[in-house]
Amino acid sequence: MANDSLPSTMATVPGFDPARAGKSAECDGGGAIVGTRYAGREEFAGTLTGEYVDHGDPPWRWYLLKDLVRRPEGYPGDAVWCLAENLFVAGEPV
Amino acid sequence: MGKNPLHTKLCDLLGIDFPIIAFTHCKDVVAAVVNAGGFAVLGEAMHTPDGIAADIKWIRSRVGDKPFGIDLVLPASAPDASTLEQLLAKIPDEHKRYAAYIKEKYDVPDPKGQQALHQWGGLTHEIARKQLDVILDERVPVFVSGLGSPAFMLKAAHERGMKVFGLIGKARQAKREIEAGVDVIIAQGYDAAGHTGPIGTFSIVPEVVAIAGDTPVVAAGGVTTGRHLAASICLGAAGVWTGTLWLASRESDNDMIIKEKLIAATADDTVYSKSVSGFAMRVLKCPWTEEWAKPEAPRVLSSPYQMLLASDYIQAANDHRRADLMFEAAGQGVSFIDSMKPAKQIVNDMVEEALSVFEEITGEAADA
Ligand SMILES: Cc1cc2nc3c(=O)[nH]c(=O)nc-3n(C[C@H](O)[C@H](O)[C@H](O)COP(=O)(O)O)c2cc1C
Repeated sequence: MANDSLPSTMATVPGFDPARAGKSAECDGGGAIVGTRYAGREEFAGTLTGEYVDHGDPPWRWYLLKDLVRRPEGYPGDAVWCLAENLFVAGEPV
Repeated sequence: MGKNPLHTKLCDLLGIDFPIIAFTHCKDVVAAVVNAGGFAVLGEAMHTPDGIAADIKWIRSRVGDKPFGIDLVLPASAPDASTLEQLLAKIPDEHKRYAAYIKEKYDVPDPKGQQALHQWGGLTHEIARKQLDVILDERVPVFVSGLGSPAFMLKAAHERGMKVFGLIGKARQAKREIEAGVDVIIAQGYDAAGHTGPIGTFSIVPEVVAIAGDTPVVAAGGVTTGRHLAASICLGAAGVWTGTLWLASRESDNDMIIKEKLIAATADDTVYSKSVSGFAMRVLKCPWTEEWAKPEAPRVLSSPYQMLLASDYIQAANDHRRADLMFEAAGQGVSFIDSMKPAKQIVNDMVEEALSVFEEITGEAADA
């Protein structure tokens, strides 16, 4: 189960976007592979809870995606934080 | 033919002679390519903020006022922040047994020191922000985000006179980043080394060109010759982004064993595998990737579990310089890497070949 907080001790401002709560979304995710000089892409699909956090300044926004219906094989949790601009929400223009 | 087809809007944007961008982890390669009239970007994803500042200073001392770039892998998704012990405990016994079987079969020694991977802690958002702060403070001419959208920091970068490039693997991500205002979009196809997406270079480049408007599109994935450069221009790209091309260059600090492996390799010696990290990535085949591809192998785990499982093998292979075990990320264009040329010669050969291809097609020489 993913933590409901981002892995950071930096100032984060939580928020809630009611218009997005309960909406299906896809996330073109991924990140650096720790301890190596490689990176990896990962795709997720699930339901937005509406919760987000703004991280640091300028704010870097992350949305919480739960009830995952698509996730990398073997992904241990049922939730993932997605970068706002890498999130594609059903019913919203790409 | 008149107009030089290699003088593109990327050249105007960056003030460079040739539309060739090198992605590398080696500062010497950056300096050599920039000084040869191309453009180069140093991959710093795993460097500390202080290390990044020192590298920027070093590059500036070698290239003067000429522009260069720094690449970070900004994350696009973030799972939980478990401890190493919690993660290791979740690896199934079947997988541990299979890793032990590979170790025994190939006589893989123990790593010499503590594995880099075991200094777990994850690349937190906090570290990424601190890396980014250095790049903004230093007003590095170009920042490249190798994964997550850089939209949130575009304004801050532009206010400092910097340019921002985004590397994408899907057209919808390109559209987002172009609309947000990135200065250049890099369309990375399946042929590429490392974290490529599933769409081929020949398809993703024109797809992104079609939606990019005035934003220059740069082609990535499998580009290792002048013919590839010419083809990329024909697809509508304003230049090429290349990684594998520099791994065996004279200036590259890669292990000589890896350089020799790259020179010997053909496209068929690369594999798009999840076995190294749990993320699909293109690497040179090695016993580890081949064993996990067998039907009797357990299903590859997700990241970071598979990476933790692979870490002993990777570290031991490098620590003991075991040529039979070592591997590196490499793209399908590796077939054309056939000698250890200086970076300047790589740039010149590529330009010359591309121009002669255009001449072949048009029957006219370009005004260089
Ligand atoms: C050894 C190696 C490590 C890489 N690591 C990164 C990285 O940290 N960040 C990044 O944006 N791209 C990384 N890449 C991918 C390159 O940016 C580039 O997209 C790729 O090399 C292009 O394909 P090519 O190798 O066929 O030229 C890496 C490539 C190689 C060869």
